[in-house]
Amino acid sequence: MKVAKEETRILLGNVAIARGIIEAGCHVVTSYPGTPSSEIIPAVVEFKKELGLNTYIEWSANEKVAFDNALAASLTGKRAAVAMKQVGLNVASDSLMSSAYTGVIGGMVVISCDDPGPHSSQTEQDSRFFAMFAKVPVYDPSTPQEAKEMVKEAFELSETYQIPVIVRPTIRVSHAKQSVKLSPVNMLDRQADFKKDPERWAATPKYRFVLHKKLNEVLKRIQERFEDDSRWNYEVGNRGEGPFGIITCSVSFVVLMDILEELNLKKNINVLKIGTPYPLPHKRVAEFIERHKKVLVIEETDSVIESQIVDKNKVLGRLSGHIPLQGDLAPDVIHDILASVLNELGIADLEESGDEKLRKLIEGLDIDVRRPTLCAGCPERAAFFAIKKALPKAIYSSDIGCYTLGLNLKAVDTVLDMGAGITLASGFYHAYHQDKKDIPIVATMGDSTFFHSGTASLLSAVYNNARFVLVILDNEITAMTGMQPTPGLGITADGSEGKKISLEELIKGCGVGWIETIDPYDVENLVKLLKKARKYTQRSGGGIAVIVARHPCLIRYPDVCMESPVKVEITDDCDGCQYCVDYFECPALYLREEYNCVEIDRNLCVDCGVCIHACPKGAIIPV
Amino acid sequence: MKVQIILAGIGGQGILFSSKIFSELGLKLGLDIMGSETHGMSQRGGSVIAHLKLGKFQSPVIRTGTADILYSFEENETYRTLKFLRRGSVCFVNLEDPGRFDQKVLDYLKEKEITFRSFDASGAASKIGSVMFANILLIGYSVGTGLVPFNYEDLRYVLESVSKKKNLEMNLKVFEIGVREGKP
Repeated sequence: MKVAKEETRILLGNVAIARGIIEAGCHVVTSYPGTPSSEIIPAVVEFKKELGLNTYIEWSANEKVAFDNALAASLTGKRAAVAMKQVGLNVASDSLMSSAYTGVIGGMVVISCDDPGPHSSQTEQDSRFFAMFAKVPVYDPSTPQEAKEMVKEAFELSETYQIPVIVRPTIRVSHAKQSVKLSPVNMLDRQADFKKDPERWAATPKYRFVLHKKLNEVLKRIQERFEDDSRWNYEVGNRGEGPFGIITCSVSFVVLMDILEELNLKKNINVLKIGTPYPLPHKRVAEFIERHKKVLVIEETDSVIESQIVDKNKVLGRLSGHIPLQGDLAPDVIHDILASVLNELGIADLEESGDEKLRKLIEGLDIDVRRPTLCAGCPERAAFFAIKKALPKAIYSSDIGCYTLGLNLKAVDTVLDMGAGITLASGFYHAYHQDKKDIPIVATMGDSTFFHSGTASLLSAVYNNARFVLVILDNEITAMTGMQPTPGLGITADGSEGKKISLEELIKGCGVGWIETIDPYDVENLVKLLKKARKYTQRSGGGIAVIVARHPCLIRYPDVCMESPVKVEITDDCDGCQYCVDYFECPALYLREEYNCVEIDRNLCVDCGVCIHACPKGAIIPV
Repeated sequence: MKVQIILAGIGGQGILFSSKIFSELGLKLGLDIMGSETHGMSQRGGSVIAHLKLGKFQSPVIRTGTADILYSFEENETYRTLKFLRRGSVCFVNLEDPGRFDQKVLDYLKEKEITFRSFDASGAASKIGSVMFANILLIGYSVGTGLVPFNYEDLRYVLESVSKKKNLEMNLKVFEIGVREGKP
């Protein structure tokens, strides 16, 4: 069946990717949210509703779970897609590596969104290296439109060669928006039909060797296909010989094209655009290099294409020191790379980007950097404030989410990766305990992160007799990435009812003997509870103490989160000490310098009343 | 037509909605649209900046010194984003007190032939009922000045098509006020 729908719409890159998944007739789509990938699943849900499709869509508990669910669908012959951010692929990598060997049946596309910059991630890792590592092909789109088309081809490639295929958009593709041409939706009528084949699906090491050999052969065939491909790998320019050419990919390609147009250099410089960086079409690349005296390789985020080039004699790039080793390649960066290389080669004389005079003027104004901060009224701020108050000398191991911003309250000492709030707390305990030292440790973790990777961390810590206080910051949503539901909410990706998982039951199930639940807005009692929890970690027969600090996210649930508003005012007792500004850090509290006192920004204040506890002079009082 | 627009402000000021207005306008005018948005951690009260390129462009981001129009909804974000403007461009700035804006920077803009127009959109919006209207006011204002290459009818049409039903009447009213304020 075909759903006819040909039109142009302005789509966010991630929405275009979702559209590609739908146009390819994909049956199963799974994901765990993470910037810059989070908008893919909601867009798939929208298209499903708009077109009345039967797509199965799930927010999984983590990326590995998402990967495996999609893979199983592929093994039954259906098409499946799994989407995640680049560090999510670390979590799913075990499955990725193994499935490269066993292969797939129905098209299986892995979308891994990279974050050069990084804007909202703990690393700048390049997912294309993961493709090389796992030995699976990868498409590298430059625009939302191209991402949509590449996703569709990735399904076809995956099905033809029975191999999972990665599509790697960077944040500047995922969060770009473009007028995108939509194509008809090709609904594939496929019934699940898993054909048993233990030598493949349950392969032992002996058969794994055979599968690895087959994988290498498949990769060779895919490389040959990419050599002939002119849709994603093509040349812009006169295709002749020249003193200088550029090999580029992803968003760097389009940024470069706009710069060449602006500088009127299009005629002088040949550009080879690579859309399939692995397996690299080696012959195409070598032939391009052959025709030029010097070739610059511009790619985000790491040197995937450049590293694969065998003869680097003529090649300029990251490895030769011409491209920065970190950070995203913004238009100014690419312009300046180009300027310096063209000057060096004597081809053109270009000035550096930016206006020094303006830069100095603005620098002289000494404008505050606007750092991200927890929202006014955020229950997590209340919890962090109580933690600092109750256990000011503790080691604070935290985790990934809005609550990473507890950094601003100095209540976060470590942020490693998902789940490490608990595992590092456990590790800290044992390292000190070995020296017979008892130090307070407070781990913080959000509800979604706990469901993602908290349970294995927690039960291992309980099993091994670690002792620390764990505060689960339960705002009943995955807030940072855009309000995706959690297992604790019991609502699935498309809004239908799922089974609600109780955090408290889960924590009990991990063997924890001390659990209390409290609303963090009740700062006074939370402080008392934290002190009690600490005592439990010290007493004989004690262990890990868990506090579930539960209050709904006020962005997601503006109506229910403020059931009993407490309007506050600041009295004349305020002496402008700024304790509240520095240690409570609510954006609605600011120092009015001319009066040397703190004032409330009523546009931001949500009447949570928690700041009453944040003034050591008692100058913040209920109205 | 080729136009590059920067929209700057902080989370919650309706930057993404403003960007939507101009991109739908581009679509109506039959232009290619490319742009870029901020999502994720920066949205928690951080700087938000949207790039929008209408016409024959390939990349979603604007290089410094090349933008034609800047809409800035916040004073400090204005200072931070002026670098995007080219010689002879125009900026519309939401400012409570224009007298407070740095004179040396204004002199610099003059030297670069950049037209600087400030308007207390937040103040006017509060009077109408909500600071949330500041974005539409400033856009209306810019159309009123006649300094932007978009006409009143097209923008009004687009605003009608992108507004949610419950906001439609108010959005149009606010837009008209902005246009009036901008008229010389």
